[in-house]
Amino acid sequence: MFRLLSIFLVFLLIVLSPGQHVQAFDLGTERLRVSGFGTLGLTWGGNKNYGIQKEYIHDFQYGNVSVLTDSVFGLQLDFNIAKRLDATIQAVAEDRIRQDFNNIVDWAYLSYRPTSNSVIRAGRMGIDLFMLSEYRNVGYAYLWTHPVIEFYKPISLSHYEGFDFRYSRRIKPGYFEFKAFGGQTGSDINVGSGEFNLRMRPFVGFNTSLEDNDWKIRLTYSTTDTAFIKAPADPLVNALNQVPQALWPQAAELHDRLKGVNTQTHYFSAGFSYDKHNWVVQSEFSLIASRWVSVDMTNGYLSFGRRIGPVTLYTVGSYARSSSRPRVDQNQILSADLQELALATQNLLNAVHIDQNTVSVGLRWDFHPRTALKIQWDHTWTRKHGGGLLDLKKPLDHDITLNMFSANLNFVF
Amino acid sequence: MRLLIILTAFIIYLPHYAFAEIVVIVNPRSNITALTHHQIIDIYMGRNPGLTNDQKLQPYDQAIDSLIRSDFYYGITGKPASAINAYWARLLFTGRASPPKSVANDSAILEIVEKNPLAIGYLDKRYLNDHVTVVYSIKRQGRENTEH
Repeated sequence: MFRLLSIFLVFLLIVLSPGQHVQAFDLGTERLRVSGFGTLGLTWGGNKNYGIQKEYIHDFQYGNVSVLTDSVFGLQLDFNIAKRLDATIQAVAEDRIRQDFNNIVDWAYLSYRPTSNSVIRAGRMGIDLFMLSEYRNVGYAYLWTHPVIEFYKPISLSHYEGFDFRYSRRIKPGYFEFKAFGGQTGSDINVGSGEFNLRMRPFVGFNTSLEDNDWKIRLTYSTTDTAFIKAPADPLVNALNQVPQALWPQAAELHDRLKGVNTQTHYFSAGFSYDKHNWVVQSEFSLIASRWVSVDMTNGYLSFGRRIGPVTLYTVGSYARSSSRPRVDQNQILSADLQELALATQNLLNAVHIDQNTVSVGLRWDFHPRTALKIQWDHTWTRKHGGGLLDLKKPLDHDITLNMFSANLNFVF
Repeated sequence: MRLLIILTAFIIYLPHYAFAEIVVIVNPRSNITALTHHQIIDIYMGRNPGLTNDQKLQPYDQAIDSLIRSDFYYGITGKPASAINAYWARLLFTGRASPPKSVANDSAILEIVEKNPLAIGYLDKRYLNDHVTVVYSIKRQGRENTEH
């Protein structure tokens, strides 16, 4: 932690020092560009019974203050190999459940521009499902202290290995872009009760956007198959698969909804942003359709901001709701020996169900050309048995409210 | 007496600022004589401006904390410098484009554009000379744009 803080302080001094406004790292060559980003954050949230978490890779917070939850430091190298060929590497240091080389290297890809309107890339690249997905670690690039939890937390994926093809050009209503991608993805995350390893392939999809100076609209579709899961709930889910059909006919269906592995998931999303006359509006909605009950949901948010000089005041409203809610049907359990398994299954179904809303207010102060200070308060309502985005130290058998306060210093160089 | 001095200073200063213009310049060897508002935005916002013969211009920026940079981006996009800086952070850290290279002042812009046939830059009109071609201009005070 002290090492991370030292890195922050050194780079913050570089960014804020006079005379460093031109190129923080001009290496004397047009071919290599070194750039970076960082956030030093303080967060307080949750309570002793219900842990709150902004992204699955972090630890949950149970009413404690954390400097690691929001803090992140990234370094990016862009190297021009030939006229139309470039290489990019991005490494990100942040609090995560598994600190290894594979997770720290967020990007490593080659990009080739066959024409001025098109780019082909291959390697490890950022997931581009939603508007902030590719730069969710770069706090300076967006308005809030953190990406909207209800919208961005369910997608725990950061990068994928594969290729993408992007075509863009100006057409009459605005600047048009189409991108198709394919490959494989995965993540190692923290679900409170333990580590959760996920591998998904094939991961394919496309997004398209149209933007002009003041507005942008964007549509995305993606689909993936879950190839591998290692989760704390595996013993329970596997036990459901062993139950004879004659003793509990519903067990097979519940196993199918909880197992995740070999399950196809479809992601649909639509986004809109507007920035004119000092009003900043952004909204996204998504539908995630899957037999896997943990990810089968709809979610969205609407954010309004107003610039007043260097300060932007903002408010965000967001929601996430599971699209289906399977329940254990007691009438189908034909053996008393299965009651314990049935109870554990119902508890798991309750724990993964999501029904949550948050209202946030905050401000961003751009006090320096490359540095911004942000503070934000999130007030979250979670309904009974709707705490799928929380860590539940005890069953959520009533509606609750939770608060989170965060203060961030964001910089780029 | 003090009022008279202030009024005189105001009158002397007014023509320099109130009617000051920022001009966008290219090298005459680029054969570009004018650019549209959309093309200027695309060039300075990391997009392909769709020039004839797929010409790839190299945009140059003024210092990140300079007033002329703020006025230039406000003039073409209507957005403050902080919004432009955040926009460029998005482009850079999504691998889409790198921001224009920054130089120290108007004379540095002029020098680069005079030498480099692919360079494009902007500067205060008062520093203009005959060795470059003006392709667009922006009124600093009125925030009104005029195409050449």
